[in-house]
Amino acid sequence: MNWRLPLLIFACTALIAGAILLTGTSSLEAVSTLVKGSLGSPSAIAGTLRETTPLLILGIAVFLALQAGLFNIGVEGQYLVGALGCAAIALKIPGVLGLILGCITGAVAGALWAIPPGWIKAYRGGHEVITTIMLNSIAGFLTTALVAGPFKDPAQQSPTTAILQGSSRLPWLYNSPELQVSTGILLGLLLLAAFAYWLRNYVAGYELRATGKNPRAARLAGIDDKRVILRAMVTSGAIAGFAGAVQVLGYEGRFYADFSPGYGFTSLGVGLLAGSNPLAIAGSALFFGILGKGSSSLQLLGVPKGISSLVLGCSIAVAAAIRYRRLADREES
Amino acid sequence: MSGIQKSFGKLRALARVDFTVEQGSIHALVGENGAGKTTLMRILYGAQSPDSGSIRVFGDPHCFRNPAEAIQAGIGMVTQHYSIILELDCLQNLALGTEVAWRFNRQALESKASELAKRMGFEFDWSQSAQDLTPASAQKLEVLKLLWRGSRIMILDEPTAMLSPADSEALFTSLKTLTAEGSTVILVTHRLPEVLAHCDQVSVLRSGEMVLESAVAATNMEDLADAIVGRAFTPTTTPNSRAQGDVMLSLRDVSVRGYRGDLAARGVNLELHAGEILGIAGVDGNGQRELVQAILGITPLAVGDILWHGRSLYGCGGQERIRLGFRSIPEDRLADGAIDSWSLEENAALGLQRLTPMASAARIDQPGRRQAAQASAKRLSTRMESLSQPFESLSGGNQQRLIVGRALALNPNLILAFQPSRGLDLEATARLYEEIRLECARGASAIVVGFDLDELLQFADRLAVMSFGALHLPEDGYCRDRATLGRLMVASQ
Repeated sequence: MNWRLPLLIFACTALIAGAILLTGTSSLEAVSTLVKGSLGSPSAIAGTLRETTPLLILGIAVFLALQAGLFNIGVEGQYLVGALGCAAIALKIPGVLGLILGCITGAVAGALWAIPPGWIKAYRGGHEVITTIMLNSIAGFLTTALVAGPFKDPAQQSPTTAILQGSSRLPWLYNSPELQVSTGILLGLLLLAAFAYWLRNYVAGYELRATGKNPRAARLAGIDDKRVILRAMVTSGAIAGFAGAVQVLGYEGRFYADFSPGYGFTSLGVGLLAGSNPLAIAGSALFFGILGKGSSSLQLLGVPKGISSLVLGCSIAVAAAIRYRRLADREES
Repeated sequence: MSGIQKSFGKLRALARVDFTVEQGSIHALVGENGAGKTTLMRILYGAQSPDSGSIRVFGDPHCFRNPAEAIQAGIGMVTQHYSIILELDCLQNLALGTEVAWRFNRQALESKASELAKRMGFEFDWSQSAQDLTPASAQKLEVLKLLWRGSRIMILDEPTAMLSPADSEALFTSLKTLTAEGSTVILVTHRLPEVLAHCDQVSVLRSGEMVLESAVAATNMEDLADAIVGRAFTPTTTPNSRAQGDVMLSLRDVSVRGYRGDLAARGVNLELHAGEILGIAGVDGNGQRELVQAILGITPLAVGDILWHGRSLYGCGGQERIRLGFRSIPEDRLADGAIDSWSLEENAALGLQRLTPMASAARIDQPGRRQAAQASAKRLSTRMESLSQPFESLSGGNQQRLIVGRALALNPNLILAFQPSRGLDLEATARLYEEIRLECARGASAIVVGFDLDELLQFADRLAVMSFGALHLPEDGYCRDRATLGRLMVASQ
């Protein structure tokens, strides 16, 4: 039994190294480029943190749903509607009020987008994976249509909103020409700390985890499992929408077609990799952030960006193998 | 098996145990909770490896590294927790893992399966979903699974715990047919009457040591009970409270739908007084489950009304009823009563999570919860290392002790116990009813649903019988009369 895991890790490493070699680059060089590109200079670090921010907040959304036994693949769509909703409000209302209202609108939009799958799952038994995938497509096309139509900045050629004024942006946490760090990452970390505390210390968090682990026992414990499922889905959607708002206010300054490079899907890996410990979301988000930023540098070496997806997939597979091996061992002993 | 030794951490589970079973016999292995019965059997079955000792099967030395190797050698085990896959139907469960062809040849398998079932005196609707099986049928299916795999030595862990007396009789009849054909059965049990009536040999384990090995014919109930608990144990009849308190709970013409949509409980009328323990006897699957769930507020009523102190509970959810002091000991502790990967402390709070010492307002009161959990664990002396160990690391009996302790915690007013002694030994069972009695003396009342008439007669104040969804209350003076109750149990409407 015990040789399987090392073999799996070895096979993954060999696969990745082999793939890199095929592109005509030495794998050592590739790794050093990846590390340099993501952590080697202040600007690289700034880029990594920028990449980490949406993954962190979306990772919390995925993790919360997982704790209630739900696989919220819909974070991508909830992120998009949240971002567009926030951009629309922040463009109309400048200043601090606009920032606050923008964040709230983003969260509300994400929450609304999660109500149908949550309700269908809780009261009609329809699987959330199916419904959220469908709503992802709808969110993608809908936001693209809106940003090409009513929300389009007439001064622009491409489908994009106008750019937010400086006063409508999240302030920099640290700002030098070399290293710019947005308060977005701070907001993410604060949210994570609050969420972890809530999950451990509040009865509602306890009931959420109970429902995820054993809905039958939860029902007998007086927990309204259907309501818990609906609430968990909606809260997860709100957090995903908030992530969209932070992205608009902290980094992009606008909403445009193809706004998300698939953060919603990467964040599924972030949430899964964190296992059962919410604080591990920070680590796994950073890990995926490094991969994401580093792989852009790899592209300059002629290594396709897809390689980082390969690393991503392998690490999820290994994480799952470790996790479920423990489960299997427990069942046997 | 000789010289078997096994320790878990500091806990010594087995100390140089020798265990010999003759071919073609029904051999009972008895002992208290945590005496090491299950551990010994798991070692024989290859699910656990011993620290030292050796195993010989039909004379050949064996060392099983996993259950698959044990099955190859003809040893099969039915554990207390069934290994039936709910998503499959009965036939698929039966054949699981033994398919010889790529295609699932339903017809051929079904005829073979029916033949096997017939030989054992069982009846199955093979296309029925395993989800709908009663515990009794699930047990039968497990036995058939072993036969299907050609087991010649079968280990049954508490097989009759969930069976009605009639089903148990049928099971033993089939087991005797099997042993007559040369198979060997090892029966792990707490029920001494069963041992005396049906087994050939008996071995008694006490805290990891083999203290008695004998032919059943050469021993008797008292000797066995002494060997098990290590001191003279006489079953006592608890004096029943004569005092009739106020009516606490009344059921008026209550009907409840089962999962199939038919009325599983029909027109139930009942008045429960403060301070009494009502036993509900009856064969499993006659609507007891649905009735209990309706009282707990988990399942809605189809017709009728439930009143608590004269006030209707209509629209009152499970959580509110827990606040009123409703507590339950669920039938299946792992599926309904606990979260196995959680700590004992977290499990001791399940169901009570919003009550005062466990929580203050919306927040969990960690020290309060720890104290309450400690008290729940102490109630029936749960054997554990610490409150932070996972629930699944406890033995079945100790899990049940914690679940019972939880149901008696924080001033219960109504205790709904479904087969509360499942997995408990004689002494713990007596303790369980003593503790329920204590709460009743304080003003609570209890309903105990059981399939073991003797246990109910011994511990309950009065008995009712559930049969085909109807609750029969014997007339005054006959509510403890075995013959009357027996007639009601088989009565149909």
